[in-house]
Amino acid sequence: MSALASAVRPLGPTAARLGRRHAWTAAVVVFFVLLLTWNASQTRNFGAFEIQTMLASTLALAYVAMAQAVVVIGGGIDLSVGSLLVLANCLSARFMEGTSFGGSVLVALVVLVVIAALGALTGLVISVSRIPDIIVTLATSFVWGGAALFVLRTPGGGAAPEFQALVLGSGNAWWPALLCLLAPLLLVWVPLRRSRAGIAIYALGSSKDAAFLSGVDPLRTKVIAYAVSGLLCGLAGIATTAFTGGGSSQSTIAINATLTSVAAIVLGGVALSGGVGGLIGPVFAVWSLYLIPNIMLGLGVDPSYGEVVKGVVVVLVVLIGGQLRLRRSRSP
Amino acid sequence: MTDSEHLLRVRGVAKRYGSVEALRSVDLAVVPGEVHALVGANGAGKSTLVRILSGVIRPDAGEVEVAGKAVRFRSPAHARAAGLAPVFQDPAFAPDLTVAENLRLTTTDAGAFRRQLAALGLDRVELREAAGMLPLPLLRMLDLARVLAHDPALLLLDEITAALPADYAERVFEAIRRARDEGRSVLFISHRLLEVQEICDRVTVLRDGRNVDTLNTADGSEQRIVAAMLGERAALAVTEPRKVAPRTHREPGEPALQVRGLSDGHRVRDVSFTLARGEVLGITGLEGQGQDELFAILAGDRKAGGGEIVVNGEPLVARHPHEAIAHGLTLVPSDRWQALLPQRSVRENLAVPLYNSPGRWGWIHADRELHLVADAIARLSIDTRAQAQAKRLSGGNQQKVAIGRWLVGGFTTLLCFDPTRGIDVGTKHQIYDLFRELAAAGKSVLMFTSELREVPLACDRVLVLYGGRIVAELPAADADEATLLSSAHGLADTLTESA
Amino acid sequence: MTDVKEEAIRDEGAAPEASFVARVAAGDRSLLALIGVLVALVLANGLIDQSFLSLSQLRNTLLVTAPLALLAGGQTLCMLTGGIDLSVAMTATAAAYVTGVQSAEGPVTAILAGLLVGVAVGLVNGLAIGVFRVNPLIMTLGMSGILTGLLTVGSQTFLGGATRMSDLVLELGGGTIIGPIPWNLVVWLLLGGALVVGLRRTGLGRMIYAIGDNRVACRLAGVRVWQVETAVYTLCGLLAAVAGILIGGRSGSVDLQLAGSYLLPSVAAAVIGGTSILGGIGGYTGTILGALILVVLDTMLNLLSVDEALKQVLYGCIILVLAWVYARGTASA
Repeated sequence: MSALASAVRPLGPTAARLGRRHAWTAAVVVFFVLLLTWNASQTRNFGAFEIQTMLASTLALAYVAMAQAVVVIGGGIDLSVGSLLVLANCLSARFMEGTSFGGSVLVALVVLVVIAALGALTGLVISVSRIPDIIVTLATSFVWGGAALFVLRTPGGGAAPEFQALVLGSGNAWWPALLCLLAPLLLVWVPLRRSRAGIAIYALGSSKDAAFLSGVDPLRTKVIAYAVSGLLCGLAGIATTAFTGGGSSQSTIAINATLTSVAAIVLGGVALSGGVGGLIGPVFAVWSLYLIPNIMLGLGVDPSYGEVVKGVVVVLVVLIGGQLRLRRSRSP
Repeated sequence: MTDSEHLLRVRGVAKRYGSVEALRSVDLAVVPGEVHALVGANGAGKSTLVRILSGVIRPDAGEVEVAGKAVRFRSPAHARAAGLAPVFQDPAFAPDLTVAENLRLTTTDAGAFRRQLAALGLDRVELREAAGMLPLPLLRMLDLARVLAHDPALLLLDEITAALPADYAERVFEAIRRARDEGRSVLFISHRLLEVQEICDRVTVLRDGRNVDTLNTADGSEQRIVAAMLGERAALAVTEPRKVAPRTHREPGEPALQVRGLSDGHRVRDVSFTLARGEVLGITGLEGQGQDELFAILAGDRKAGGGEIVVNGEPLVARHPHEAIAHGLTLVPSDRWQALLPQRSVRENLAVPLYNSPGRWGWIHADRELHLVADAIARLSIDTRAQAQAKRLSGGNQQKVAIGRWLVGGFTTLLCFDPTRGIDVGTKHQIYDLFRELAAAGKSVLMFTSELREVPLACDRVLVLYGGRIVAELPAADADEATLLSSAHGLADTLTESA
Repeated sequence: MTDVKEEAIRDEGAAPEASFVARVAAGDRSLLALIGVLVALVLANGLIDQSFLSLSQLRNTLLVTAPLALLAGGQTLCMLTGGIDLSVAMTATAAAYVTGVQSAEGPVTAILAGLLVGVAVGLVNGLAIGVFRVNPLIMTLGMSGILTGLLTVGSQTFLGGATRMSDLVLELGGGTIIGPIPWNLVVWLLLGGALVVGLRRTGLGRMIYAIGDNRVACRLAGVRVWQVETAVYTLCGLLAAVAGILIGGRSGSVDLQLAGSYLLPSVAAAVIGGTSILGGIGGYTGTILGALILVVLDTMLNLLSVDEALKQVLYGCIILVLAWVYARGTASA
């Protein structure tokens, strides 16, 4: 009854409503700020260089987290994001080697289109075959991984130095990396989120039945979600090329990236069941996960334990988050 | 009236699910500016017909014509474009999206929506609230407003007043009258015959997947509608010879099951009854009166909010079906897909209770298992030709397997939910006979059924559930269908205490 | 209105005819067909390279298959319940590490320590998945990461130094009992036999199939599903530990990459063998054939000097195609 009464009184609950919707994201931002402050206090002369390092080295993972977020919001899950990253990395590194700045940009654009197309294909296969997302992407992760091996047998390749500077910034300039992060967010995600197609993605993840009855085309929506995800994975691969100045087809990179993406979205407030969350929370989660090993180093603890902490944090958050959501859905 | 003057014409529509015929052949005609009711007992086919008309499922046979043109709906969007708009009992709102975002999905014009909201007296609703945060009655009103905002030619309202508070229901009626005045039509599905009298122009009665009568509410009456719902077999059924005499005396000692003041804070309000040992007790009621929740609580699948359950003299608070089963209280679910292991064999399906706890995980005693399984198969006459996978069995055989499982596993009280739904007559009688045998052997059976004519055939007593409460109790001999149906609709208040 | 679209989908797939594809997917999987494929591959290999059919090559084939078949066995158990275990490779590696480090304490103690690692990992996985309902893929993926981290740190600290396996382990992992029959085959036969028999003739085996087929029905029949899931993942961890010890015994030393290349094939072997990734149908016999087929296929691809890259692509395609076949088969029934 009280909910009914409050729904009909538009005063007052506006703040409460906004609070409910963005609570988790706010919490992650606060968490990040706390970690950043902690890390800053450990480091002497904490400044632009540290910021640039953070933004540059996490750029790829931030993209991958955003990619996973789009898919999971739409009710799916993508275990191949890491492999797509590696494939994009190898493709761009192989073909950017020895090119000029313009050449590198051109390669980057082509790679983006290719990887986005692969993503769309994945979405199509999932819709048509009716095999669960989890299995299709498990299978495709091996296919993309094999393709990456084909492109670059051993680590190698390169990128035009101007291109690297464009993405990551030269000297201590940290804003290029930030701009690169914001670009797809502002140019692709925000318009999509406001469009009917974007709302359809959320609807599909929230309730397949309601979406179906509301006239949502599940195939079209899935393909769009996976295509956007592919685009972001492509950006991740290119960012890796820029950061490492080359490419590597090692499967451990792929597995690591996939695991981190799942961890980041869960920490960032995206529900594994779909329909809930955004892209900003996962990005802050990626940054937070990055800071943990740094902080441990500053405390004199072996940073490899940071990997353990990350894994434990993920499992705990999924566990607790799952329990909370289970409890909420059980009440009639 | 010529075909082109009909808004909607349905001819010979049929729909089958596996071996179950949900619709055999339905003809229906709706004219513009009419409120047309669709009534029928549970399982008569109303929901299936609505789903076909709203493009959710496709019929196996028959034609649908809208304004004289034949149509085949490919999707709900397609049906909506043709002017047919449904409002289901579960509102079509994605819970995590705001109301406004949900409106965008269906490309509903916000201005038109607000006008409809105002007409329904709900203009202070916050559209930026997540749909899942709003209470269900309000959401259903919003669903109605949304549908109206699209200027539909035909509104399909499926039990719209179920679970709506009285003032909301009144506003819904006003909206329906307004729609009619604007030349729209409404297909009004309802169990509440009083409402049907009040608001509808004509009534079509469905029974067993066919339309059996169409009458004007002006010169019709509840009795005629009820009679049409029951059909002429009603008279015959009661006089059918019975093989086993009903039990009229009670077994001494503790009753098998005592329920006092049971509630779950939602659909189950206040249920109290006693099930004696060696008794077959029937419960009947319309859809959504709390029976699903009641059985789930008794089976240990759900927690009760209040009240108590006493099994064989011992109180039971079950948090898992295992605890209920340990007290001898076992469930044959309504939905066969909740009971069967589809890809496993009949034998494995029947034997599940034998291994349902870690103490029983050890080596299988094949002889013992075979003996128990063969016994159940024989008692139920289960056709085991499709041995390999249970999903290949006919509906009747699947139901027998679901019951047979507890013959193998053992029980003192069997909870059956609609055990004979969608099953042929021969198998039905086999199941009634089995229940009689079990009762004669001292076991008890609590059976929910929506098939009223089987009550005197299978049960000793019958309870009627309405609005989460038991509103009537009759010995089986007095339980004719008209009385039961009236009680089930909340029309008559017959509380006959048996001795 | 329970599940509107589900009903529509269930309704659409009601095709009466049973094509070969549908029959295969519906569980009438012919083990004979798999045996046929295996024989064909073996003969093909023999044609490509005569020495493949020699005793020593046979022994090599079996040496590689045994640990794979054990990992795939654990995977089969998980998949039968509708889950999956992506941590088997790291569990195997961890067990091998611990056994290596403990080898100074004596072979039996070392082996027991390694097995304990497997059991512990499996128990944690099982409880998280069964009790807390964490998605199996996510949980085991996370566990894999945790183990990787622990081993990375450990290999430099508490697990560093003496990772030389004791003689017993070396013998079990790489030694031969007679002719072409390696010791690890004996281990595998014992455990594999227990798996096959256990799945068919024990109550637990029945429950594993049952909860994979219809979890809800099991609950209503009184099964506490979390118990079965916990048991399954614990057994899987145990099998992974045995596999890791055998692999470590064969190679003589331990490193982080010990079992990494076994993860994908462990899933593929189970899928090829007819165990549905959705649960409720399949078995270990098929998995054994699947493992053998994979090893022989791998050998053939190596003999033909096929790329590692192409091999991976092939594995991915196999899983996809088979999952599609099974999905169509279950829909049209």
